[in-house]
Amino acid sequence: MKKNKIIYWSLLAALPLLAVMGCKKFLDRKPLQATLSDLNQGALESKVFGMYSNLRTLAGFSLLPWLDFHSIRDDDAQKGSDDNDGREIITEFDTYQYSKDDWAPNTYWSDHYTMINATNDALHIADSLKLSDAGSIRNVGEVCFFRAYSYFELVKAYGEVPLINFPIRKASDGVVPKSTVTALYAFIDSNLQVAAANLPLTNSEYGGNYPGRLTKGAAYTLWAQTYLFRQNWAQVIAMCNTVINSKQYSLAPEFSDIWRDAGENGPESIWEMQAYDGPGAASNGSVDYGSDFGTSQQIRRNGASVEWNLGWGWNTPTDKLVADWPTDDPRKSKTILYSGQSDGGTALGGFGATIPAYSNPSGTGGLAQKYWNKKLYTGNDPAIRVSTGYINNSGAARWINHRILRYADVILMLAEAANETGDGATAAKNLELIRNRASGNLGPSRTVVAPIPFVNQAQMRTAIKNERRWEFAMEGYRFYDLVRWGDAVSVLGPLGYVNRARYYPIPQKAIDLSGGVLKQNPEW
Amino acid sequence: MKKIRKTARLKNPNLLQIGRVMKLTGAFLLLWCLHLSAAGFTQDKVSLNLKDADLKKVLKEIQKQTSYRFLYNQALVDDKKVNVSVVNEEVPAVLTLVLNGKGIGYQILDNKLIVLKSAADGERIEAKDIRITGKVTGQNGEPLPGVSVTAKGTSVGTQTDAAGDFSLSVPDAATTLVFSYVGYQSQEVPIRGRTTVNVSLVAGQNALSEVVVIGYGTASRRDLTGSIVKISGKEVADKPNANPVASLQGKVAGLSVVNSGTPGQEPDIRIRGTVSIGQVHPLYVVDGIFQDNINYLNPNDIESIEVLKDPSSLAIFGVRGATGVIAITTKKARAGQTIVSLNTSYGIKKLVDKIQLANADQFKTLFAQERANNGTTTPFDYTGLDANTDWINAVTRTGKFSNTSLSVNGTTDRNRFNLGVSYVLDQGIIRREQLQRWLVSFGDEFKVSKAVKVGINFNGSRQKNPYDATWVLDAARKVMPLVSSGTRSYTVTDLYSGAQVTQDLYSLLDVGLQSSGVINPLVRLENEWNKTQSYEWRSVGSVFGEVTFLKYFTARSTLYADMSTVNSRTYTPLYYGYNPRTNKPEQVTQKTSVGESDQTYRKFQQDHVLTYKNSFGGHNLTATGGFTTYYFGNFNRNGSATQGLLPIPDDPRFWYLSNTFVDQSKSSASSSQSENTTVSYLARALYNYKNKYFFNASFRDDGSSRIPAKNRYQTFWALGGAWEISKEDFMNNVKFFDFLKLKGSVGKLGNQSAYILGGGALNYPFYPTLSSTTVAVFGSNIYKAAEENYEYNPDLKWETVNGQEVGVEFAAFKNRLHVEANYFNKTTNDLMTYFERGLGLKPKLTNGGSIRNWGEEISASWNQSLSRDFSINVSGNITFLKNKVLSLSDELPTSYLIRAFQNNGSAESRTTIGYPIGSFYGYVVEGVYQSYADILKSPSAAAIGAYRPGDFKFKDVNGDGVITADDRTVIGNPTPKFTYGGTVNLNYKGFSLSADVNGVYGNQIFRTWGSLESPFQRVNYAAFQVGAWSGPGTSNFVPLVSQGDRFNYNGSTYNIEDGSYFRIRNLQLGYNFSNALLSRYKINNLRLYLNVQNLKTWKNNYGYTPEFGGDATAFGYDNAGGAIPRVTSVGLNVTF
Repeated sequence: MKKNKIIYWSLLAALPLLAVMGCKKFLDRKPLQATLSDLNQGALESKVFGMYSNLRTLAGFSLLPWLDFHSIRDDDAQKGSDDNDGREIITEFDTYQYSKDDWAPNTYWSDHYTMINATNDALHIADSLKLSDAGSIRNVGEVCFFRAYSYFELVKAYGEVPLINFPIRKASDGVVPKSTVTALYAFIDSNLQVAAANLPLTNSEYGGNYPGRLTKGAAYTLWAQTYLFRQNWAQVIAMCNTVINSKQYSLAPEFSDIWRDAGENGPESIWEMQAYDGPGAASNGSVDYGSDFGTSQQIRRNGASVEWNLGWGWNTPTDKLVADWPTDDPRKSKTILYSGQSDGGTALGGFGATIPAYSNPSGTGGLAQKYWNKKLYTGNDPAIRVSTGYINNSGAARWINHRILRYADVILMLAEAANETGDGATAAKNLELIRNRASGNLGPSRTVVAPIPFVNQAQMRTAIKNERRWEFAMEGYRFYDLVRWGDAVSVLGPLGYVNRARYYPIPQKAIDLSGGVLKQNPEW
Repeated sequence: MKKIRKTARLKNPNLLQIGRVMKLTGAFLLLWCLHLSAAGFTQDKVSLNLKDADLKKVLKEIQKQTSYRFLYNQALVDDKKVNVSVVNEEVPAVLTLVLNGKGIGYQILDNKLIVLKSAADGERIEAKDIRITGKVTGQNGEPLPGVSVTAKGTSVGTQTDAAGDFSLSVPDAATTLVFSYVGYQSQEVPIRGRTTVNVSLVAGQNALSEVVVIGYGTASRRDLTGSIVKISGKEVADKPNANPVASLQGKVAGLSVVNSGTPGQEPDIRIRGTVSIGQVHPLYVVDGIFQDNINYLNPNDIESIEVLKDPSSLAIFGVRGATGVIAITTKKARAGQTIVSLNTSYGIKKLVDKIQLANADQFKTLFAQERANNGTTTPFDYTGLDANTDWINAVTRTGKFSNTSLSVNGTTDRNRFNLGVSYVLDQGIIRREQLQRWLVSFGDEFKVSKAVKVGINFNGSRQKNPYDATWVLDAARKVMPLVSSGTRSYTVTDLYSGAQVTQDLYSLLDVGLQSSGVINPLVRLENEWNKTQSYEWRSVGSVFGEVTFLKYFTARSTLYADMSTVNSRTYTPLYYGYNPRTNKPEQVTQKTSVGESDQTYRKFQQDHVLTYKNSFGGHNLTATGGFTTYYFGNFNRNGSATQGLLPIPDDPRFWYLSNTFVDQSKSSASSSQSENTTVSYLARALYNYKNKYFFNASFRDDGSSRIPAKNRYQTFWALGGAWEISKEDFMNNVKFFDFLKLKGSVGKLGNQSAYILGGGALNYPFYPTLSSTTVAVFGSNIYKAAEENYEYNPDLKWETVNGQEVGVEFAAFKNRLHVEANYFNKTTNDLMTYFERGLGLKPKLTNGGSIRNWGEEISASWNQSLSRDFSINVSGNITFLKNKVLSLSDELPTSYLIRAFQNNGSAESRTTIGYPIGSFYGYVVEGVYQSYADILKSPSAAAIGAYRPGDFKFKDVNGDGVITADDRTVIGNPTPKFTYGGTVNLNYKGFSLSADVNGVYGNQIFRTWGSLESPFQRVNYAAFQVGAWSGPGTSNFVPLVSQGDRFNYNGSTYNIEDGSYFRIRNLQLGYNFSNALLSRYKINNLRLYLNVQNLKTWKNNYGYTPEFGGDATAFGYDNAGGAIPRVTSVGLNVTF
């Protein structure tokens, strides 16, 4: 009896003892899902994928704030939607009373720095791991492209901004004063130099299944744009010729094909933000890799029937664009969708539907806008809507790619630079490429979008300016074009534009976070 | 032991820890073995072999070997020596032997108590038991079962039965009976030769002799040096709150309870301030097991609730101690016979203090004003919009509340058990919001032998979770009053069968006017409320074994488990609404889909505690050592599936992921899971000398899986001291104080606080989780890329709180007045900070910064019986609290943490050095610009944005002549300057009337509605906007109505409201039926009561309530929700 008890007690006493022995193991807990070290993913490749993801998901790169900065603040586009929706955007972007603290400008700023910091971190990884395989070298090219792209967007929007080209470990590291515009462009040049050298000529070099991934052509096109803003005509010509001579790109024969779903990553496409929605994406997040770039510009239903709930209805053509644009330009009816009219059918990039009528700015009983951006009208493709499930109250158009760089820009940049350097012949030749395509390739004897021969530099300059306005209408080029041409005050002045509006003020929150190291733009 | 020395030489701290515990465990083992070989079990026969031994020693030895106890006068046995040698002899025989020739006689009482008396040698004195009977009742005349009744100076004692009756044989030498009962003041009653002693006990949480739970043990309140407040379970049982914590509001100094009106939603509870920027809610310890909430308990099952506040009480909880502890003891069997009790209450809930919104006419006027302000003067076409709906009324109702529990308790010599079942129905004031809970509880404690006790406790519950209607109030206030809340009949195509049917449809909104983020709440609520089936099953249980050995030692091991599964199935049906503009039906949902989720957690805890308790020569010592581990695992699965060609039928039979209607290509599944553990060593000593000088020390070493190995173990400690001055001789002449005690404690506590700022807890702080949203798309090819969500700090450790307390307690006026006052001071260091770093950087987790909370608490109570039938009890408490951020992580580029809400973050809480945590931040409104002339003569505000007459005139706070963002400043503090509560109880015969009041003073509320709405939404106007500026001189407070004037949508003093309030929290009238009446029906006790909760609140803000909780760094926001109802309930308590 007594012996049994001793055994009993000893066992009981041993229990906690056993428990203690296992303590170290008991406390060693790793997450029950992968950590970065478990994945063994190519560290650099993974970071680069993150940048493409940013491009697609961050509002500053392809959603409303992007539209605000690029398109809505020119004279041809306006906020759109209806009277009750985002009214302050009219004040801020249609009438140039910029806000230092509102969601759109704040997002625009911080999203670009999010991208920049991702690039800095990625380059730090590449350096510290001394990666030198072919794949990593291409990755470095992509990273440098994204960094240049982000800084170019910033320098256009704000002028001087802080130049951060190192991985930030402590937030205080990131508190640096602004750099000059010259220094920023020098930095952009050095990044594009690496990008142009490291990126492949075609995306097939990535190993297949990477349509839309960055190529040399994208780097040179972006580089040309940056020189265009600096009016370094010689370099614009050099960069454009490099792209043209690579023979990778051509103008799409039919203008409206560029904007069709089938036209994504077409012959004219140099770089697109890629979006994808699989079957049933409307109710299944696991096949929704879309973007609201498309959704934000689709027809907003308002008082119309429920099947016209296609999107948010932002970035719509102004009366001025409609009035100024000669009706005989076929691009007009392929760019502007009219409320209350037929969409023009397949020939004009439509689906044979009739758009509900415009009623009033509140959209009571009908639509709140007279015109819509037809370059995004592929969002009404009935087949895709049924397949993705974005119908009626689930309206959205998240599958649409954002065409960021297209070959037509290379042609027109070359024309502009040639004209500015006195090469009227090259200017006229390239302008004609665009106009001929616009006419439907009717050839030199056509009367529609007739050829414009070179008369003098000023005449050709005006012609090119007009051509850019029509060719790129609603695409987000015009505001920055007007600023760099020095035409902004005369064209946008009636809308409230004054010279200081060429730069947006730096968000107050960024200045707050810097503890005052960051100084507001002097005119603001 | 050899092994330990070896490991010690390795100097590996982890191994040393193990070594330390091995030593401790070794000691356990050794002690037990010694004990077993020396004594075995006590029995009623003795074996003695003693020569020339003190008689006292012999008696002691008999006591040790048997269950007999002795009662004698010291002088009787002094200097008496005996020789004795017996083997396995009966006690009376041995006594006769040893007392022979000593002039001592003895008497053996019923309960094995032996009284020694001066008498003939060894004479067996004739038992002269005096049998005393009586009844013990509470203030309201209700019988108190389980009251301990002892004869003072003896060990004779018993407990009252279910009817409060007792019967006790006491030695005739006894002169006084002592009555004590948890939650009541002990009472000493002289016998004075009576054989019937009836006593009425007075409830009082300040009773000095009461036993309180202190974590890993209990102690007499008198022995403590800190601040523990005990609330009797009765006080929460008769209140209409499904969550017992909600009933503590205003009851305890230093405890802040901010209630929520939503069934099942946790109140915001903070003890002595906001000590962290992460976790601020206290730790709950329910019968020993650590919990984050106690909503699974039925208030009727609670015996008592203890609130632990000071360092010396909390250090034993180590890394979980910094936020305070609420310890709950559930009811255990206690009476000497079987008791059946039934508690039931039924109540109704009504919305009070409704927020005021524009009606149809006011909306039209204001909307016309707004259109005019923006240049549109054409009248708005309201075709089809002709209702005048009060949307708050449309979505609310009178809710019901009921709580019924039935329990059976029984005790035998060796076994004590209790069994209970209960049912709670809690309806919200929002239509269709309803929670149901079924509970079973079971407890059994079995005495294996005199020294060994084992037991089991189990609580099982099944809860039908309410439809999540938390969005409804906000949705309702947004809808224009012009939209009808009624239905209209339409002939439509049935979305399931395709047949033509007639359906009553709710109105949709006018899409042109109200679209994004605004819906008719009834369309969704009425079509979807019964499409979610969500149940929680939860089992909480423990087993323990307790061994008493070597007289002074008790070893107790407890294993706990808490397992819960929430299973939810949600179905999205197909339904229509009608378009009020076109008067046509429109399909609202397009496709049916189902979602299923299982959320499971498992919690295991083991405690092994050794307690040594002894008194010697005026020294009283209780020493405790222990070892405990904790495991928490959380495993969740979610899936969703969408229909194929055919809709999934509206029948719960098919609400599963695989139901054959589903298009498998459109289904998805995901899971999330995590585990964390802690291992802890603890020790505590409670010591006092002559019950006059008290010291205690506690220590805990916690190891946590959430901390990197190099910092894994952290040590926490506390020291406390107290001096009961009233026991000193020099106080004999000070008649004023019946009791006077000074006390103080210091210590270091920890906070397990790895939180995303304002978000969830981080389970693996030093393994940043990977973001799955990083997906690169090329064409239709998807490339997922992993990215860490934040940057971690490899030197991470827990935050610690250095706390101090000093206090005084006294009783005066014949113990009628009891007062306790404390000053406390707590500084939290190494705040575990997860902060956003701006410039698109990943957030970072680090330690840095400190927060101080300090203040005073005063509680006082007055108890008095004015006559035999009439007694009064008044108590009150007040807490003054200050909170200040002393520093923040130096990695923060600036000296503040920002929490921003509403669109564009215009509602901002800033945690700034030098200010209280979560201070509201924004512009100061001086008025409204009346004219352009007014604008011209005022400092320019162009830096903020475009503005015009009718917009706010912000103050130039920094006086630089322009209004810029630099003119924002701290505009409010969500933490009250003081909080207070009080209770008045009046008892007359069987009647009792009690009133609880509570209030706060000096805090601010940030109202976000009627001012900071999204630019993408058109919402109904608040009634106070009716007087909005519409021309010079019209208003200097409410700006012009215009959503486009974002200038006015900056957070400012316009949003700040006074949060002070005073509330009659409960008013209760009760009646206890007389015993005479009840005994006829074999009922021991019957009580009926009527209770009104939240009878009236005096407040100064526009919201439903002045109470708005939140998290550590952002609280006090009024987002047009949080309505707290008035609950009127009747209740019945019966015991058989």
